[in-house]
Amino acid sequence: MNVGSDMSLFSLISGASLPVQAVLVILLIISLFSWWYIFIKVATIKRAETESEEFENKFWTGGDLSKLYESVTAGRRKPQGMASIFEAGFKEFIRHKQQANMEAKMEISDVMEGSRRAMRAAFNRELDDLDAHLPFLASVGSVSPYIGLFGTVWGIMNAFRGLSSVAQATLSQVAPGIAEALVATAIGLFAAIPAVIAYNRFASSVDRLSVRYESFMEEFTNILQRKL
Amino acid sequence: MIRKHENSDSWKAGGLAIAVHLALLGAMLISFNWKAAHPVLNVTEVELWDKLPRTKPVVVEEPKPEPKPEVKAVPKPVVEEKPKPEESKVDIELEKKKKELEQKEKELEEKRKKDEATKKLAQQMRDEDLRDKNADEKKQLDKIKQDALSDVKAETDKQASAASASLIGEYKAKIQAKIRNNVNKTLCGGGNPELRFEVNLLPTGELSGSPKITKSSGNSTCDDAVERAIIASEPLPLPSDPGLFSSFRNLNLKFRPNDN
Repeated sequence: MNVGSDMSLFSLISGASLPVQAVLVILLIISLFSWWYIFIKVATIKRAETESEEFENKFWTGGDLSKLYESVTAGRRKPQGMASIFEAGFKEFIRHKQQANMEAKMEISDVMEGSRRAMRAAFNRELDDLDAHLPFLASVGSVSPYIGLFGTVWGIMNAFRGLSSVAQATLSQVAPGIAEALVATAIGLFAAIPAVIAYNRFASSVDRLSVRYESFMEEFTNILQRKL
Repeated sequence: MIRKHENSDSWKAGGLAIAVHLALLGAMLISFNWKAAHPVLNVTEVELWDKLPRTKPVVVEEPKPEPKPEVKAVPKPVVEEKPKPEESKVDIELEKKKKELEQKEKELEEKRKKDEATKKLAQQMRDEDLRDKNADEKKQLDKIKQDALSDVKAETDKQASAASASLIGEYKAKIQAKIRNNVNKTLCGGGNPELRFEVNLLPTGELSGSPKITKSSGNSTCDDAVERAIIASEPLPLPSDPGLFSSFRNLNLKFRPNDN
């Protein structure tokens, strides 16, 4: 690898015009962030899936719900995913139940409504966490090719403008300019393609998780109603 | 930028993101040969010459102008014959004779003056004559010299052309052989068609302009085949001697594609 030769990647970039360099820097930062978010989301969604799996297993093996509630809240960590929905719903249910016992005024439907609302709120919070960064990935996927294209068009314009002052135009006079301009497109595509793929994948994963949470909410509501 | 629950992953994810970009950079560096290959540019330098330079400087034996001294030796007008006026005999004679003498002397002097004038005139005329004669002779001499020179030139030219004619013939045969190798003979069908092409060449052996067909074989596919063959045979073999190029600038080539 001869970095010092006149067509090396580094000399191409350093020889590029300022707008092209700015585009390259922007794209590099965008690409770094999008990959960072991609890896973060891969980890968080995977963890959310395994946690909900584990919790469903624990939940459906039967056993006392209050014991499960204690084990969920006992941990130092704030419960996440399905556990947090369960925690919110069950906490609200117990409170309403206590109130209903004390005052004997509360209707069953009111208790159920309360716990449902609490679960819905927890579900929304969870969904918001799951959805985090997905709009950014979508923007990167749709916009960064255009940014790269802008850099390329600018670079090619520059290359051809330089060509106009030469009497005998050869390809070797435009080639470096076009090559340096195409680096911008390459980086734009490099940022966009994984972002689009990751966005679609994460969106479907989040959808599946939200369906899972929602069905859990319905089932849990049924169980609570039976307990009353 | 980042959620609380994501904190635990952020460092790992950041490291992975940087690793991915380093991998991209590495792939770009390895997969492309960023070294610009500069092929030796095939630039033909053109020098313009008025005349074709001789490869062998012909030693022209300049005929020494021998006859020159002759010209110089043309007799100079001898103007030295000074007619000495006869010294009057000065006999101490009578004084009357003296007068006579004086008169005589005067007369003589007059005569002498007259003589001198006529002589001068004559000399002038002779000088002019001489000059004319000189010029004539010089002209003749020049002519002789030139003749001799051109003779020598012609002789050397003849020798050179005798040598180069064989070279020219050889290279013309080479050109035709090279082109014939590229002709797709099946396109010319049976028979023995003959084609003539006029080809303009550059000193590099490349064609300047497309070959012109001067005599068609009557079969346009055959004509095209030969034309393609001529173009495919670039560069055509040329003698290394630039002096011979003039006979290759416009070539009339005859082809009999089916003739072996």
